[in-house]
Amino acid sequence: MHKPITPISAKPSQYGINPALVKKRASELPKMCSLNLQDLFPDLPEVIFPAGPNAIDDVRKAAIESLKKVDMSMIKSEDSVNVLASHHGFTLFGGEPYAELLKAIKDVVEEKTGCKEVRLRAGVGMRFRETEEYIKSYGLDTYYHGKAIGLAPVDEGIPIETEIGTLYGLKKIYDADWIIHAHHTDVREVHFHRQVDKAVKPFGMSYARIETRSTYHQNLGPRAANFTARALFESDFVQSKFAFASFLDVGPHGIVGVDSDNDLYALNDRATFIGCQRYGKVMTLFGEIDECIAVLDFPCPVPYVFSAGVIYANFTGANVDLYDLKTPLPSYTWYTEAFYGKNDKPLLGDIPPINPAIKMCVHNYAWTGYPSAFFSKHIPTIVVGQEQANLFDRDSMNLEYMDYAVSIKSLEAAMEFAYQTTGIDKVIIFDGAMGGMNVSETMAELLLEKAPLVSEKVDQELLPKWLKQRGVDVSILDKLKK
Amino acid sequence: MKQVTLLAKVDQDKCIGCKICTKVCPVLSISVVNRKAVVNEDDCRACGNCEQRCPSHAIEMVPREKPLKVYVDVTKFDQGKISEICEKAHFNPEQVLCYCTGVRADEVAAAILDGAKTPEAVSLMTGIRTGCTIECVQPVLRMLEAAGCELKPNEGGWQWYGTTATAWTVPKEVKEKYSTRGFYFEEDRELLDDIAKLNVEEKGGKNRDA
Repeated sequence: MHKPITPISAKPSQYGINPALVKKRASELPKMCSLNLQDLFPDLPEVIFPAGPNAIDDVRKAAIESLKKVDMSMIKSEDSVNVLASHHGFTLFGGEPYAELLKAIKDVVEEKTGCKEVRLRAGVGMRFRETEEYIKSYGLDTYYHGKAIGLAPVDEGIPIETEIGTLYGLKKIYDADWIIHAHHTDVREVHFHRQVDKAVKPFGMSYARIETRSTYHQNLGPRAANFTARALFESDFVQSKFAFASFLDVGPHGIVGVDSDNDLYALNDRATFIGCQRYGKVMTLFGEIDECIAVLDFPCPVPYVFSAGVIYANFTGANVDLYDLKTPLPSYTWYTEAFYGKNDKPLLGDIPPINPAIKMCVHNYAWTGYPSAFFSKHIPTIVVGQEQANLFDRDSMNLEYMDYAVSIKSLEAAMEFAYQTTGIDKVIIFDGAMGGMNVSETMAELLLEKAPLVSEKVDQELLPKWLKQRGVDVSILDKLKK
Repeated sequence: MKQVTLLAKVDQDKCIGCKICTKVCPVLSISVVNRKAVVNEDDCRACGNCEQRCPSHAIEMVPREKPLKVYVDVTKFDQGKISEICEKAHFNPEQVLCYCTGVRADEVAAAILDGAKTPEAVSLMTGIRTGCTIECVQPVLRMLEAAGCELKPNEGGWQWYGTTATAWTVPKEVKEKYSTRGFYFEEDRELLDDIAKLNVEEKGGKNRDA
């Protein structure tokens, strides 16, 4: 156990409250501590970020080295190139590493190809100006000489013919001769993608129109949905423009390096291994938590706040194995939410409940911009500060969030209420602490006790099954052991 | 059902008449007159798309003096016909179609029976497609198509372009080609069918094999 890690700072954004209103962070409360993820899982690889004052320079060096190995000969000096980015990357470890990757891609492409028409196109989720905010705050508009824009799924689209019929992409994603897919191996929404084709997913999501995204979330089913992105990527149109991909190699504890490849599927298999092995251990460990108070304390919408690389939405489903594809529906995913009847009970008896270990949620700081009433409806939730409650009441996606939550003036009072009401003192804080996780001392004791067995179970039993279900060559495990 | 508490308000001095707001409004409540955007206050469902996409930041969402409640009372319509439309579209009548407003399939069917023939009309009546405005477009199109409505996108608009693949239209050869990559096409179609065909009287009681 260590002293708490300083959490990611509150950020000024139209989707969250004024950072000045975040008076206290949960990690500052009494009896909180931190766990280093490499103490829990010693096999996690060394990271280059966070790692001291020069860490961001090391991210740049890793990016340049990786990009130099990629074939860029298809890009001619007179061509145009769109570097495609997504909002999630900017939420990882403060966002700087992803911004640095985007800068390095521009520089190396210009240097290797002589091309000067290199633009940044950054897609979003449901907060249509989110990447506009990031582009400004990380200086990407200046770096890309004004050729950096945020794109939303309601922007003008283009039809793309695929093996399953017409899907729709965003016109400005594809309005260049070449596209470069700039992403990361962080898992984020395992409840949606189930670590199937995660590296391909932005083609069906942040680079796509509403019709395509709705296909994913409504038309195909919880696992088949993941084919949407592959259908688009496999299309002649996208293939004719795809140059290469460059990913931050991310673990739950930091940036390990940069992985660039002309073959997205090869990169996808490596990302699948990382997602299952590195993140699968933390996710499985979280499934061992028997009871807790969860605190949301991060500049992101409710489901996306982080602890040790796991988002709150995945913690609400940690009572089932999210990586086991034999289980069709996680406790939380939109298909699951859709299948709750008017009596607020699942239509099918075998739909798993929301993680019963979460006895109460204290929402100290999290953003609007994602429909979150399902969480407050099924988990007792306290929102800190009337300003935050009012913000949710004004959000078109969260008009019901405060119908099921209560507001309390201060974090201290909210925690006291939670302790007294639940009678437990195990706390897990979703505050994006880098390199580890902030928890209560009692929670730390539990996790330290459970981690060795979880690690062994994932390595010996779960990981081979998970990889096999995804068609990933399991011999990758043997190669890594050598 | 949606409680509409806000309203889009245009700052005429900032508006440049680009018409983007008219292209992204899911209920067609904005028009451009004399190169300035004008909001039809009765129709605005406060999704905020216009405010979020306006390049000159000329639109603000402000509280309505009198909030509106938009909904269609499903009990006033023939339950058999509601079920028929839902089943044809492969939805259970109680299935949630809109994660932001909580609008269910039966309310959309009731709106259609009440005369809605376009996605915009369904949204005006129920509030569906006026939260995130993203995820429920396909279910609305599927429901309208199932009811026999002709789908014709708004000329020059970006509201929606058309229907896409469903679990019931994915070609067999595609399923076979990608069968080893974890997509579980057939199993998911069966799950969706089980939900759609479930009699609400049985809900909560039926278990499926994983």
